[in-house]
Parts: sequence; structure tokens; C-alpha cells
Amino acid sequence: MKKRLYLELENCIGCRSCLAACTQCGGHEERNRNYVYDVNPLVNRQTMPLMCLHCVNPACARSCPAQAIQIHETGAVLSALVEKCIGCQNCTIACPYGIPKFDTEQNLMYKCDLCIDRTKDGIPPMCASVCPSNTLQWLTDEEIEAKQKQFNLDNGKWVTSLPYLESETNVRVNLPGILQGVTKLF
Amino acid sequence: MQRDKFFKEVDNLHHPNETLVRTHCSYCGMQCGMNLRVNTKTNKIIGVEPRYDWPVTVGKMCPKGVTAYQQTNHDDRLLKPLIRDDKSLKGTKLGFREASWEEAYEHIVKNFQKLQKDYGKDSLSVFSGVSMTNEKCYLTGKFARVALGTRYIDYNGRFCMSSAAGGFLRSFGVDRGSTLPWTDIHETDCLFIAGSNTAECHPTSMFRIWNVQERGGYLIVADPRETPIARRADVHLDLRPGTDLALANGILNLLIENGFADEEFVQNHTNGFEETKELVKQFTPEYTSEITGVAPEKIIRAAELYGKAPNAVVMFARGIEQQHKGVDNVSAYTNMALVTGKIGRAKSGVATFTGQGNGQGGREHGQKSDLLPGYRKITNPDHVKEVCQFWGITPEEMPKPGVSAYEMFELMDQKVIRGLYLLCSNPAVSAPNLNFVRNAMKNLDFMVCSDFYLSESAEFADVILPTVTWSEDEGTVTNLEGRIIKINKAQEPLGESKPDWQIQVELAERLGKGKYFSHLKTARDVADEFRGATKGGYADYSGATWEKIEKQDGVFWPCKSEEHKGTPHMFLDKKFYHPDGKAKICALPYRPPAEEPCEQYPLRLTTGRVVYHYLSGNQTRRIQFLRDMCPEPYVEVHPETAKKYNIEHEERVRLFTRRGEATYKVKITEAIRSDTVFVPYHFGHEESINLLTNPALDPMSRMPEFKACAAQIEKQSVKKV
Ligand code: SF4
Ligand code: SF4
Ligand code: SF4
Ligand code: SF4
Repeated sequence: MKKRLYLELENCIGCRSCLAACTQCGGHEERNRNYVYDVNPLVNRQTMPLMCLHCVNPACARSCPAQAIQIHETGAVLSALVEKCIGCQNCTIACPYGIPKFDTEQNLMYKCDLCIDRTKDGIPPMCASVCPSNTLQWLTDEEIEAKQKQFNLDNGKWVTSLPYLESETNVRVNLPGILQGVTKLF
Repeated sequence: MQRDKFFKEVDNLHHPNETLVRTHCSYCGMQCGMNLRVNTKTNKIIGVEPRYDWPVTVGKMCPKGVTAYQQTNHDDRLLKPLIRDDKSLKGTKLGFREASWEEAYEHIVKNFQKLQKDYGKDSLSVFSGVSMTNEKCYLTGKFARVALGTRYIDYNGRFCMSSAAGGFLRSFGVDRGSTLPWTDIHETDCLFIAGSNTAECHPTSMFRIWNVQERGGYLIVADPRETPIARRADVHLDLRPGTDLALANGILNLLIENGFADEEFVQNHTNGFEETKELVKQFTPEYTSEITGVAPEKIIRAAELYGKAPNAVVMFARGIEQQHKGVDNVSAYTNMALVTGKIGRAKSGVATFTGQGNGQGGREHGQKSDLLPGYRKITNPDHVKEVCQFWGITPEEMPKPGVSAYEMFELMDQKVIRGLYLLCSNPAVSAPNLNFVRNAMKNLDFMVCSDFYLSESAEFADVILPTVTWSEDEGTVTNLEGRIIKINKAQEPLGESKPDWQIQVELAERLGKGKYFSHLKTARDVADEFRGATKGGYADYSGATWEKIEKQDGVFWPCKSEEHKGTPHMFLDKKFYHPDGKAKICALPYRPPAEEPCEQYPLRLTTGRVVYHYLSGNQTRRIQFLRDMCPEPYVEVHPETAKKYNIEHEERVRLFTRRGEATYKVKITEAIRSDTVFVPYHFGHEESINLLTNPALDPMSRMPEFKACAAQIEKQSVKKV
């Protein structure tokens, strides 16, 4: 059963365990490929992760003159191929979310590969495995649909994977406000 | 086996040439399950893999857990015993030379025996900790009493769990940190959480806590700061530090007034209701608000939600416990559950978030100055007799009760205690009033420190013994639920390091006490003796065999026999552990913090943790990722207060109290009360906030008041370059 990365931003507690976990994937050379931001640090403790959304038609790959960014059959937009990447950094500018990182020493782009050595065999990615708050989850489409029903937002805007900056994405995101649609028990 | 909705059947990634060793995190009381990745060629730990099959945490870990494996083969590991001959270098890292174990042991035995000959048995002391296995905690107690024969043993739980223990003993007659398993928490209808920065200190509880709200339940959080969990609470009771007792009384008053008391339960299963009802009457929302600074509407709303909830859990942590009325705070919040009868059934109850990995188990088996294995009392002659018989000593040989952790430093200062064997703790960072404590350690005649890194406290030692990390030994710990779990060995001890139980056996032999210790040749031997020693006590572990732990994902104590499965839910039969079987509802008059703000010190200082560090930071400050995330302490200041003092974000200011001072970078945030400042305590030397904290002790638990004292900020004069 195909599973996707699903984000519930309102859950994030800013622990950055996802960053620590990302350094632990095989082939990640102990460098994390994801981001966590303090939304308004002088005001409150709200944080949010910024993850590669694994766009169906990714701007990074489109912009790459060397075909260094491959798309895996699972839909994962992979990190640059060492032998192809020419270090032009087009992709870092093309991605509307600023996901690809650049290693100036190796002259090489690196980015989230959705832990392809895990997810190709159905094992959850590291970040979604450890995330203590369930901000990052690894779910089937049915589970995501159930979430959509559960959080029936009164403004009619189910925010997950609407055509945003880059059309359809493999990762589904639920912006802050998930609790708006919840009916209280009493 | 509790398999709940969060549990998913997932495989692990298994690289070739690697074995996965199932174990748990080395740090906090959550004891998250993890697999350590071990290279089969080098037999070294090289990484971590989630443990999806652990029912409490289902693969989740905080950043400390993810990087915990990096401790084992860290460059800072102590690999050989160290001796320092020049006493004038005490309090520094300098002057240590490598020695053989034999030389170190000889040196220790010679000095220990001389001190005891000159000044009596009780001139030696043992200061230990609960970030180690039950077996080690047990043996440390036996080592102090049988091998050294000293009354002075105590442990760092006095800075952590002792108020919770005291409060539970008084209210229930038994101290099990949680009356229900964690797998119940997301199914309750209302969580009332006081003084717990859960998202940072017990992060892997958060997916269950958020789920209460997702299901339409309520979350109430009492904290002076808008912590990440308070930010999303339905009601945030933003109280002044040190005023919990008034808040708890105020809420209890409303629960009773508004008819939420469960009369049948109160009548049949508790004592003390009428008296308490009378006492809390004065705590009207307005009066409570005056003391706590929380708006009356919020107090009313919180009481209404907790009262109406079919099931509810009251939870708390160091915020309410590290006060000089910590025990009263615990009993006062526990009153809420007893009066409403929301206890002794699934999905309802009371729990403390145990801080240290083995904070629960480590306090039960005789490291505490007044306790013996199985939660027996050293002041109870029958208990003493049972334990003496088991150990093979006479009751006359059993030392008397000692004093609490902080009081040991007072006795060191008075030269009553002259020698110290310190293990599994770093009081030079974690004790309050550090100028005094560090000086007391410096003036000791002789000090031994056992650690795997050269901690700030080791800087005061004459001998340092290299011990192993959690991953190089095996044994049990008891997590915050009261579930006994198994830590497994993933690697052979690095260098010449040895587990503490082995060090104690070898030292005991050289002290001429071999006949009580020499039979302990493996961790398993210690475990078997330990289980036997607890038999018949309150905290009976005798049926918790390693095999049973493996088979049923842990064993909740009490577990009195091989056939008994253990006790996930406490008090299901509504029987409490006081002699009459009833719980005690406690009438607790309000007392302000020991030190209230004044003209000279107008601010309230409170301390706590950040998600990236554990306790004194001796371990986590050495892990690159965690260090990068939080390299230094800071002081959180509200923008209004910052304006008043004319200080800016990231500016360095002097923060001081009656006891000490330190300089910190300012972090401006609206997520704190304007009368309060906060500093995390994980840092050493001149960065330690405990230079400033107040050692006012709780009369029962002897817990210092880390969480509230009076302080002042001073803008630094601009230095001319
Ligand atoms: S691990 Fe989860 S909760 Fe922690 S920072 Fe990342 S997304 Fe947020
Ligand atoms: S940096 Fe590498 S991956 Fe990115 S666009 Fe250029 S060649 Fe492609
Ligand atoms: S999916 Fe894997 S590679 Fe991508 S951010 Fe998460 S841990 Fe890193
Ligand atoms: S520190 Fe606590 S919450 Fe974090 S991984 Fe370890 S046991 Fe879990």
C-alpha cells in the first residue's frame, strides 16, 4: 500500500528531532536535508518544519541542465547524482520552497530523498518515524482521507495539497488550524 | 501487551553487516524504545534505528534519543582510572594522571580506611543518581551500608522526584509515579497538566496529548511560561512561579462548590474531605487570582472542564515539585482526582512525569537516605530485620538513616562528612546554591568520582573511575509509567571502563567485605539478588524476571510472583495503600515561596530544561548536534520587562540573587510572564544558573526550591574597546 509523507503543522513542538533523524539515514553523510523554523520567535514558541514536498512536476528537476535530479518510481524527488551534478545551483533557486542545499566544498547539491533506501521498501522515513508530536506522519491515502473528513474546516478550505506554488505534490500538508473543525466532546 | 491505534506493524531497515540491539534511550523517564545499530565487524555501535515495536513510543524519539548512541564511542570517554596527587588543583581539570585499576583501588581503600579510622564510619558518604539500572541503584545502597557502613547515602532524585514520591505516599500510601499506563493517556477526555514543559522534557508524550484534543477532549496547562504545550492548550493557567498550592486549592474549591465531588467515592475510599473542603473555601476565584496572577475566568473554566470530563488525568512535573512546598503541591493537585473520584479506573488517574531514566525505580531500592530495597523504611525495625537477614548482616550493623542530598553538602562544609564517592551524578551543576556546594566539595579530604566523562563534579575528585555508558551493560529500569523494562548491552566496555556494579564488588572485596559481594559476577547475578531483596516490599519486583519483561513488553510493579502479570492500573479495586485502605484528601494551607520578590530583587527567577539537553548536560553538551542547537544558556525576558531595564534581544546582562550571579544572553519573548525570568540549568562553571537558586528545602521531601526565587537584572556597562 502506497504511503505518503503527511504534515500536520499545528502539532510541531520545535524539538528538531526530524533534523537529528535526517542525519541518521544511510547515504545522508550525517547532514540533514530538512528545516524547522521559529514562526515568530520574539512572540511565541510556534515552530514549523519545512520539508521537500516531492512535487509531481518538480521545479528543481526542470531547472537542472544536467539531469542530475532523478525522480524515483515512488515519486520521490531524489538528491543530485554525484556524477551528473555540475554545481550550477539552478535548482536551489528554482525550488519555490528553497529545499535543495548546496555543498560548496563538493560542489554538489543535496536534498531530501524521502529516505529512499527506507521508503522504497515501505519503511517510514526517519523524520516521520521519530517525530514525537505526529507533525510528520507516514500514511496511506485512505488514512489521509479520513483525516480530511475529521478536520472538516468551517471555511471549506481543506488545505492539503491544493495547487500551491508548484501544483500537485506527493507530500500532503495540513496548515495550522486543524483543530478548528473538531467537535468538542462536551 | 498493549497495542493501541498508534502501533503499526513496520519492518526495520537492516543494513548488511549490522545487528540491531533492542534497548531504550539512556536519558529521560519516557525510556523510548530504540535499536542500536552495531557493526558486526568492529562490534561497535554506529547508529540508531527506531523501535516501532515498543508500545509506549512506537519508534518516536526526541533529538537526545536520536543522538544518544554517540555517547558510547565519544572522544571524551574516560578510558583509564585517573589519580590526582596535587590537592591544590581541585576544582580544575588539571593534574590527573592515568593509573591502573589496582593502583586506583588501593589509593581509594587506603584513604577511605584512614578517614573512617580517624573520624568514624560516617565520615564517608555516597552520592548517587538514578540514570542507571535498578540493579546498580540497589547495589549502591548495599555498598554504602554493608561495604562502607556509612549512614550518609543519598541521590540526585532529591533534586528531581522526591516531592512526587512524598506527595503520593501521603495521598495514596504508595509511590508509583503513574496510576495508569501511558497508552491510556490519549483516550482520556481532559488532561490537566501542571508544571510540566512536556514538549521539551518528555517530547514523546506529545502525540498522545495532542490526540486528546483531536478527539475533542480538553487540555489545561498550568505554567508561568507559554511553553509549546501551553501554546495549544484550551486553557493556559499562567500562574506566578511558586503559587501552585493556591491554584490547586482554588480549583478544588470550585469542583466541590459546583457539585463535581463524587460523594460515594469520597465517603467509601477517602479520608480528610470535610477538613479540606473547609480549608479551600477561602480560595475563591478572586482570592486565588490575587495570589497566582491567573485571571478568575480561566480558573473557573479549568475547574469546569476537569469537573465535567467523564475521564480525566492530572499530570505534573518538576515545576510544582521543585518548590519548598513541593510535597503539598503534589497532594493538592492529587486532591482533584480524589475528590471527583477520577482515579482507580482506566483513562483516569494521576501521574508525574518522572525526570530521569530510572527516576522511579532508582528511588525505591535503597539509594535514598531513609530507604531500603523494595521501598522498605530504614526507620522500621521489621523492614531492617528483613533486609539484614537477606544481606547476612545483623540489625546492629545496619547504619541509621542519613540526610538528604543538599544536607550532605552542609555536612561536608561542617567537616562531619570528609570523604565522598560520587557516581552517576553531577551536583557541581545540578545542586542549588552552587557557590556553597562547590566549595564543600573542594574542601573534602578525599573524593572519588565514577563517570564516563570528566564532568564538572569530577574536577573536584582525587580519583576518577571510568565507568561504562548505558549501552555497554545490561539491566532493568522502571520508566515513568512504573513499567520495568530491560536495557540491553550492545557493545563491550570501551577501554578499561567497567560497570559501576563491578567497581563496587571489587572495591568491597578490597575493603574486606567480599563475602557480601563476591558472588556477584555478572549483571544477571546482581539482578537476581536485587529481585529477591525487593520481595515482600511495597515495590515488589520479585516476579519481574528478564524473560517476563521481554515476553510482555515490560512488567508494571507491583509484581509479586512469577505467575503475576504485573499492575498496569493502580487501585482498580479502589484499595489504597494506607492501613485502612483509604486515600487521603489533604487540607493544605497556602505558603508563599521561601523567597518573595522585594525592592532589591523584584523579579521571579525560575529554571528548567530545553529539549536538546538532559540534566546537568554532562552527556548532551558533548553531542555535536545538540550542542549546535543549544550551545549556551540564556535568560528569557518579557518585552515589557526588557523595556523597563532598557535591554535588548541577545544583549548580555548580569542576573543575580542573594546567592550568586551570572551573565546571560537575553532572549526576548512574550511567552513568559512579565514578572518572571527563566534560565535553563544544563550548563557548567560560570554559566550555571544554580549559582543563583535557593536551597530552601521542602520539610518532607528535602527538595530544594529550584523553581522560584527573587532575582534582579542589571544592564552591563558598555565596554570600551
Ligand atoms: S520532529 Fe516533529 S515536532 Fe519536532 S521539530 Fe520536527 S516536525 Fe516539529
Ligand atoms: S546544482 Fe546540480 S542538481 Fe542542482 S540544478 Fe545544478 S546540476 Fe542540477
Ligand atoms: S524524508 Fe528522509 S531525507 Fe527527507 S527530510 Fe525526512 S529524514 Fe530527511
Ligand atoms: S530523552 Fe526521553 S523523550 Fe527523548 S528519546 Fe530519550 S527517552 Fe525519549
